[in-house]
Amino acid sequence: MIQFDQVSKRYEGGHEALSQLSFEVPTGEMAFVTGHSGAGKSTLLKLLGLIERPSHGVIALDGRDLGKVRRGGIPKWRRQIGMVFQDHRLLMERTVFANVELPLVICGTARAERARRVRAALEKVGLLECERQLPATLSTGEQQRVGIARAIVARPSLLIADEPTGNLDPQLALEIMGLFDEFKQIGTTVLIASHDLPLIKRMKRRVIVLDHGRLVADLSAQEVL
Amino acid sequence: MPPEGNPMAASEATLRNGHGRGRRLASWREHHGWSAAASLRRLASRPLGSLLTVAVMGLALALPLAFYLLLGNVQKLGDALGQSEAVSVFMQPGQNAQQAQLLARQLGERPEVAKVTVKTPQQGMDELARMQGFSGALLTLDDNPLPYVLQLQPRPGTSAGMIEQLATDVRAMHSVDMVQDSGNWRRRLDALLGVGNRAALVLASLLSLAALLVVGNTVRMDIAGRSEEIGVLMLLGASAAFVRRPYLYAGIWYGLFSGILATLLAVLIELVLAEPVARLSRAYDGRLQINGLPPWLLLAVPLAAAVLGWLGARLVSAWQLRKAA
Repeated sequence: MIQFDQVSKRYEGGHEALSQLSFEVPTGEMAFVTGHSGAGKSTLLKLLGLIERPSHGVIALDGRDLGKVRRGGIPKWRRQIGMVFQDHRLLMERTVFANVELPLVICGTARAERARRVRAALEKVGLLECERQLPATLSTGEQQRVGIARAIVARPSLLIADEPTGNLDPQLALEIMGLFDEFKQIGTTVLIASHDLPLIKRMKRRVIVLDHGRLVADLSAQEVL
Repeated sequence: MPPEGNPMAASEATLRNGHGRGRRLASWREHHGWSAAASLRRLASRPLGSLLTVAVMGLALALPLAFYLLLGNVQKLGDALGQSEAVSVFMQPGQNAQQAQLLARQLGERPEVAKVTVKTPQQGMDELARMQGFSGALLTLDDNPLPYVLQLQPRPGTSAGMIEQLATDVRAMHSVDMVQDSGNWRRRLDALLGVGNRAALVLASLLSLAALLVVGNTVRMDIAGRSEEIGVLMLLGASAAFVRRPYLYAGIWYGLFSGILATLLAVLIELVLAEPVARLSRAYDGRLQINGLPPWLLLAVPLAAAVLGWLGARLVSAWQLRKAA
């Protein structure tokens, strides 16, 4: 379970990206965080990935206070979460297989096990036949799916995605969201920052709405309907 | 819980079971192997830049080696010249052959003396007679005024200080009139060699520092050029040690190759000098033995350079990655 308790984030220079934010996302739930540009969506995800630290308040995942994770413990923390980025952040010199394999290499997983898991993840996103290709030879949508395979290959307990469908056409975006929905079904908590309201409505999932860093609405799946 | 038959779920169970210490160690070793190979491939992918870095470092390391070689051989040359400059002991006039032999035996027992040659007054006279312009003058002498002379040959490696002490001791003997010690030049040479050795040490330290900075700067540029990849690895949970590893291996490769180059250059210098040195040695009846670099040093230089490369990469990567984190 993700818990935000009175979380604020003020950047150097005084800009307050998040203000007194409190909400909970139960384990295995898929939720969207939405709002206009500058609402604080990306900051919220950065706090979960320990890319940024909150100025005030407590963030906890499954009861563990993120504020107590020291600098040296950040890599270990990040190994427990999967991150998907709008710009994919793939390593273009490495093959699709090698990209997806990275989190497992970092975790110290044995080679044979890595091969099994990478192929399972690629199969899940429908790119098993592309494993030897370089990411540059794939379409934007396929690259995003590689990014998703990489995020889920180590079976994280939390999956966060920052505008994962930002560059995709509506049909492809729906397919990608369908993938996220499947991970939710296997017990992974999924938090997606997106400003694509039509897509969010079609997914019929919980929606957390931010405006200028404040929580302005927290709509359940039924309320979205 | 994951649904039955989910390939990801099946893999997860295996993964959990597989996270034993042995597997982690195997994976750690595998990553070391990968890092070593990947860093070598990166060096090979930009041959000119890598060659220039190795050449600069190699030359920087070859200079103190050449200096070391030179100093060692000047020392040898000094020893060889020192052997030809025996200490001459002039006995009191009127001492006879028996007394000369007795003194020669006494002096021959001293540890710093390799050989004592007794030169009789007649031999001295004959030498003088052979010198141009003396023969006529010697004919006017009624008897031979020359004393017995003992020529002391110091053992190889005897220091100037020990030879000086030998001369002082012999001079104090009552049967000795005069001692001719040609050790002054040796002391000056030893002093110069002392300065040279210290200068070589300072030079070696400075050039090693330069080599370290060259590696550091190369690795810094490498890291700067791969900042995006490093950022991704860190977001995926890679530890600093994991991210740093390929760059440390790059430092090791740079150091190792430059150490090998420095050694090859030193051997080349030896080969270039071999012929004139052989001629010089022949001029000293083969007593002058010029030595090359010892085999242990030829092995130690590449290894020490590899450590130097690792250190340069370690310092810079730690600083760069702290900035990136």
